[in-house]
Amino acid sequence: MFYAPETAPIDLPTFKSTIAMPYTLTPGRSAGTFLAEMPNRRIVGSRFAGGKVIAPAQDFSPVNGDEPEELVQVPENGELTAFTRVDGVVIGLVRLDGCENAFAHRILADLADCKVGQRVAAQWASEDAGTSITAIEGFVLSPDAPVGEVKPLVGPAEPLGVINYSMALDYDHAYGPYYGRMFDELKENGVVMGVRGSNADDALLPPREIDDITHKRTGTWKACADTGTIRACSLINMEVYGQTRPVPYAYAEIVLDGASTKMIHIIEIDDLESAKQTIKPGTRVRAIWTKGERKGAVSDIERFEVIEA
Amino acid sequence: MGREVGIVGVGQTHHARRRTDVSQAGLVREAVDRALADAKLSMEDIDTVVIATGPVLFAAVNQPEKWVVDAIGAQGKSVVRLTSGGGAGFAGALAGYYQVAGGYSDRTLVVAYDKLSEGQLQYSISTLYDPFWGREFAVGIMGFSAAYWRARMDVLGHTEEAAAMVAAKNRNNAIKNPYAHQKKPVTVEDVLNSKPLCWPIKMLDVPPISDGAAAIVLASDKVAHHSNTRPAWIRGMAYCCEADNAPERSLMLSEPLAIASKHVYRAAGITNPRRQFDVVEVQEPYSCFELNYYESLGLCPPGQAAELIASGATQVDGDIPVNPSGGCMGANPIGAVGVIRLIEAATQVMGRNETHQIQGAKTALVQSGGGWANLRGCAVLSA
Repeated sequence: MFYAPETAPIDLPTFKSTIAMPYTLTPGRSAGTFLAEMPNRRIVGSRFAGGKVIAPAQDFSPVNGDEPEELVQVPENGELTAFTRVDGVVIGLVRLDGCENAFAHRILADLADCKVGQRVAAQWASEDAGTSITAIEGFVLSPDAPVGEVKPLVGPAEPLGVINYSMALDYDHAYGPYYGRMFDELKENGVVMGVRGSNADDALLPPREIDDITHKRTGTWKACADTGTIRACSLINMEVYGQTRPVPYAYAEIVLDGASTKMIHIIEIDDLESAKQTIKPGTRVRAIWTKGERKGAVSDIERFEVIEA
Repeated sequence: MGREVGIVGVGQTHHARRRTDVSQAGLVREAVDRALADAKLSMEDIDTVVIATGPVLFAAVNQPEKWVVDAIGAQGKSVVRLTSGGGAGFAGALAGYYQVAGGYSDRTLVVAYDKLSEGQLQYSISTLYDPFWGREFAVGIMGFSAAYWRARMDVLGHTEEAAAMVAAKNRNNAIKNPYAHQKKPVTVEDVLNSKPLCWPIKMLDVPPISDGAAAIVLASDKVAHHSNTRPAWIRGMAYCCEADNAPERSLMLSEPLAIASKHVYRAAGITNPRRQFDVVEVQEPYSCFELNYYESLGLCPPGQAAELIASGATQVDGDIPVNPSGGCMGANPIGAVGVIRLIEAATQVMGRNETHQIQGAKTALVQSGGGWANLRGCAVLSA
């Protein structure tokens, strides 16, 4: 007999986090040439052994991995092979004349007028869209569009080596009961709380359900002090993307008094040379709390500072 | 006990800070073509394919294996993609090893790559941190590694000078490696005087950021001779991990590496690693890592790594050369590095390393891994 446990999801607030960064992507020779030719209003495909043409141009045959024999100019007319509507915009798969494959683009028409097999023609954007496939604004329905022919690509543009790109991904992380209570206590009472190990008085931070060493259930909740000892530290003197404060500063892994595991935070420093002497494994530190209303996040502690002996 | 597995073909790209002439898929294709040619095989002869890369955030293409399959002509084959941080390439090779040893494949192609010029390396690595608990303070892997190196200085004597000797050794070795792209003679003083990035880690303790791919063909003993009269046989291979923030975890010695080497040495009949290995290839994302490997791999007792590097034993002309290829200091396309280290060790025991052959090398040790100490593996190769 299978019993469903008596638990059900509860809707609770989430922790919002974003991963965002710029990229410099490499399209490779064929796609790089395709993009470089967009401002010239030429559509570039690649011709493989046996004469098969793929557009937009690809460095490798999707059939067998072969490299193309040459890049070619393909017609602007073709056939609609599939379509759908997304957020009011018709998106279709277009197979250009003389090509083996279909690729996705905007269809500048009403959904009701679209039919699989219909003739379509590229409409170039009136404004400069640069080296992007959106230099083709979309494809219009064009019943009388003549069947075009694949032609040699005369005087191809230099392929683009790098394309600037960026990505921003938003996440809603669920706290779960252990992180939920820890951040609640932080917000309401300004206390860092962990849970005792299965057979130890020191608290695991962050709190968790299972003790990593004994693999048994952890014990009761325990408030840790806002003072502690540095276990490991480094002096950050390097500027990297995404950094939230100016260098130099110290990155520290700190074991709070009453805890058995580390928390990560930063310590402000004046200069590297003096910090090498004052900030070391074993150095005693205290939390400096962020002024104003607490948010229930690690950032409620602004930083740590060395406790002068 | 599984079947005997040999490395019968190897290939890698000329690594570079930025390859603008090829896409990710094109980079992989170069390495695969070279490995297949080296094994005197074509893609038709390959039963299964393993594709290994670092985190997809490195280059913003999710499930890149779909793209790679088209580029290498592996349509219709059994393909798995595997990722395991810095140890991705090694973990991919281990997966391939299991497939052949287990009798599910006679020939497996393992290709590993990263195109690190495309994204934000340290920021991407910072996303490995707990988003609730510490990510906002993370400085990739460098801030963390530097912190625990600092802690090891006090406990194990891994001094700045000792690490600088490692950096100088590997950087100077890389000059002979035709696939390396960072090839500038460097002295210990140069390293010590270079700019602190995450002190104690300084500029010259840090490898370059690279675009690169590497591929190997693994074959069963039944078919290996078709490709190679002297394959590099894998005598043992393991990859272990540990908890991230558990109590009683000091991060001073790498326990997973000690555990992995114990298994592998038993399988390969290694009882005295310092005397039995002719050459060692390790993945040292920062110079301080190599000191730790000496200890966890049993090349010296804990606390004596600084002495070992100072003795010159791990130089190319020492009794236990470590990274005659230059290691990561010559090129560091992270996901590919585990396979690059296997290639370097394999060509050594095959006796066909054209530029930095250790004369008479018969038995080689390979180490690879990800994180500071969390994921660690090693393998023993012999002809």
